[in-house]
Amino acid sequence: MAGLNLKNVYKKYPNGFVAVKDFSLEIEDQEFIIFVGPSGCGKSTTLRMIAGLEEITSGEIWIGDKLCNDVAPKDRDIAMVFQNYALYPHMTVYDNMAFGLKLRKTPKAEIDKRVREAARILDIDENLDRKPKALSGGQRQRVAMGRAIVREPKVFLMDEPLSNLDAKLRVQMRTEISKLHQRLQTTFIYVTHDQTEALTLGTRIVVMKDGIIKQVDAPGKLYAEPDNLFVASFIGSPQMNFIEAKADKRGDDVFLTFGNSEVILEKAKADKIIEGGYIGKDVIMGIRPEDIADMNTVLDVEKDKYTPIIANVEVTEMLGSETFLYMVCEGNNITARVDPTCEAREGDDLKIGIEKSKIHVFDAETELTITN
Amino acid sequence: MVSNQILQNTIDGLKSITRRDFSILDDDARVVATTIEGTIGEYRLEVEDFINSHADSQEMQGNHYFKIFDEYTVEYVIAIKGEDEEAYKLGKLAAFQIKNLLVAYKERFDKDNFIKNLLLDNLLLVDIYNRAKKLHIENAVRRVVILVESYHNRESNIPEILRNMFPDKTKDFITAVDEKSVILVKEVEEGKDIEHISNTARIIFDTLSAEEISNIYISVGTIVDDLKDVSRSYKEASMALEVGKIFNSENHISTYAELGIGRLIYQLPLQLCQMFIQEVLQGKTIDEFDEETLNTVNKFFENSLNVSETSRQLYIHRNTLVYRLDKLQKQTGLDLRRFDHAITFKITIMVSQYMAYMEQNTFSQQYN
Repeated sequence: MAGLNLKNVYKKYPNGFVAVKDFSLEIEDQEFIIFVGPSGCGKSTTLRMIAGLEEITSGEIWIGDKLCNDVAPKDRDIAMVFQNYALYPHMTVYDNMAFGLKLRKTPKAEIDKRVREAARILDIDENLDRKPKALSGGQRQRVAMGRAIVREPKVFLMDEPLSNLDAKLRVQMRTEISKLHQRLQTTFIYVTHDQTEALTLGTRIVVMKDGIIKQVDAPGKLYAEPDNLFVASFIGSPQMNFIEAKADKRGDDVFLTFGNSEVILEKAKADKIIEGGYIGKDVIMGIRPEDIADMNTVLDVEKDKYTPIIANVEVTEMLGSETFLYMVCEGNNITARVDPTCEAREGDDLKIGIEKSKIHVFDAETELTITN
Repeated sequence: MVSNQILQNTIDGLKSITRRDFSILDDDARVVATTIEGTIGEYRLEVEDFINSHADSQEMQGNHYFKIFDEYTVEYVIAIKGEDEEAYKLGKLAAFQIKNLLVAYKERFDKDNFIKNLLLDNLLLVDIYNRAKKLHIENAVRRVVILVESYHNRESNIPEILRNMFPDKTKDFITAVDEKSVILVKEVEEGKDIEHISNTARIIFDTLSAEEISNIYISVGTIVDDLKDVSRSYKEASMALEVGKIFNSENHISTYAELGIGRLIYQLPLQLCQMFIQEVLQGKTIDEFDEETLNTVNKFFENSLNVSETSRQLYIHRNTLVYRLDKLQKQTGLDLRRFDHAITFKITIMVSQYMAYMEQNTFSQQYN
C-alpha cells in the first residue's frame, strides 16, 4: 500500500503535442481517485506515466517514498487493468492469472497461493480450470482483475476497464470494483470518461481538460461547487443550464438580467458579485435542471426560495418519478427536472422558479466561478 | 535445433512417468541431457562405436541405446537404464517422442524461416507457392501484417505474449527480421475490415501494457488476399510505424490506410520543406504559435472545419473560437474556415513536424 505524489508533471510528444501540463496531485494511501475528462484530455497519458509505460517530459512521480521517474514499470509495485484486455484463449483461468507471475519467475508455490487467493476474492474459484471462451463477460472481466490482483501491488491503475461491457454488466461490475477496493484496502487510480462511474466510485475526482487539472474534489463538492464553467458543464446529466447575462444592482439587490428576464441573487452571492467588481459586466449564470421548479407545484411557504422567470415549453418527457421540461427563455435553451405532478404541455408559457441558493455565476472571460 | 534444455525437460518428464533414468547423447557421444546427476558432458566411447554401426538399437553395460535420426543421419542417441524388456519398450517410446520433437521443431523453424524470407522478398514467386504447400500454409487467405515496437524490445516478452494471444500456429505467424520490432502476420476472417484489425492492434497495445511493456508503437499494413502480397503489407506497416511516430506519436497505433497526406510528406526532400515553410509562414516557425491556438486549430481540423462542433468539443463559446480563428488569420493571412487555406495550414503543421523529426533523428545519429 502506498500514496502517490505527482509534482509538476509534463508530457510532450516528439511531434510537439503536449498531452499533460503541470500536473500536480497528492494521492493518499488507500484512496480511490478518479481521472475524468473528455477524450484527449490527458487522463490516460497521466495514468500511463504513473505506470511507467510513458516517459515523463519533466516533473516528478513519487510512489510511496520512492522517486519513480526512471524506475521500470515492473519495479513500481503497480498493476493495471485496461479497457481492451485480452485473455489468452488457450490457457485456463488459472494459467491466465498466473501468466504475469511466471514471466517474473515467481516460485510455483507462491503463484498457486496468490492465484487461489485472488480467485476466492473475485468469486471465480470454481472456474479456475475453465478456458476464457466458456466464461461470461462478467467472469472474464474478473479474470482480468485477477491478473492484476495476483501481483499484490501497492497501487491499482485502471483505464476505462468497464467501457467494453454492456450497460447492465457495467453497473454490476462498478459495484464489484467498489467492494474490491474496500476489501483490498489499496490505492486505486481509475480513468473514465463516464461521469456516473466517476461520481459513484471515487473518493476524490480529478477533472481534466486539455492536459490540465480543472478541479480536484470529493464527488459531492465537485457537483455542488464547481470551480469553473468546464467542470460545471462536464459533471451532471442532464448538463447544467448556462445563460449569458449582465450583473445589475438596484438598491441593495443584485440581479442577473438577460433579455427582458431577470433573476435576483441571494445576499451572499450578491456580495461576491459586488466585491468582484462585476456590476455592469457580462457574466454566465448556471443552474442545474433539478434546481428549477414549476412554480405551480411549489408550496407557498417555499416560494421565497425561488426567483421566477417565464419560459416556453418545447418538449416534455414524463419519466415516472420525474419529468423533464425542455424550454426556451429569451433565446436560451433550458432543461428542468421537475416534479411529476407538473401539468405543463408543449407550447405553454410556464412560470418556472430558479432556486436562488443554487445559482452559479461564472466570469464570462476567465470562466471561473465567482460565487462559490 | 532443439535446445538441450528442452531435451532435459522432456527426459525429466519421461522419468517422472516411467521411474527410469534416461540420458541423451549427441552425435559425438557426449551426454547433453540426463536424469543421472553429474554425468552431463560425459563421453561414452562405446556409444561412438554404436553410432558408427548399422544397428538402430543396442544393449550395453546395463542400458538400452536407441538412435534418433534426422533424415538419414544420427542426431542423438537416447539411453535408458535397465536391460529388461520393459526398458526396451520405454526406450523405444522415448526415442519416438524425441524424434517427433525434432520434426515439430524443424517444421516450426522452417515456417519461421519461410515467413521471414517472404516478408523480405527473398523468394521467387514459384518458391513461395511450392514451399507454402510443403509447410501447409494456405495461399489464398486474407492476411495483414502488424508490427510491434518497444524501446526495450530485446529484453521484453513481446513474442511470448503475442504467441499466447494468437496461439493458432497454422493461421498466425510471429517472427522478427530485426532487433527493433516483432512482426505478427495475422489471418483475417472474411468480412472483417481494417477497423476490426485496428481494434486488434488496440487489444495488443492494452495487453502488452498490462504486462508492463513500455513505450510501445504498433502499426498495421493493409489486408492482402494472396501470400505473395504479405511482404507489401509488411512494407506498409513499416512505413506506418515511422510516419505514425512523426505525425501521430501520442496515439501509439497507426494504420497505413489512415496515414493520409503524412505518407506523401514523409517522402519530401527537406530542402523543399524548408522553402514551403518559409513561403507560408514568412520567416516564422510553427513553434511560435501558442499551444492554445494550435490545439484549437487541430480540433477544428478534426471536426472538418465545423465551428459549432469544435466549440462544443473544446467547451468554449462559439464566439471565442471565431475570435481565435480571426487572430490566426491576422497572423498568417490564412482563413481556416476556407478549405484551401485550411489545407495549406494543415500541411504547414505536418511539414514542420516532419522537419523536427528529421532534425531530431540526425542529431541522435550524430551523438549515438
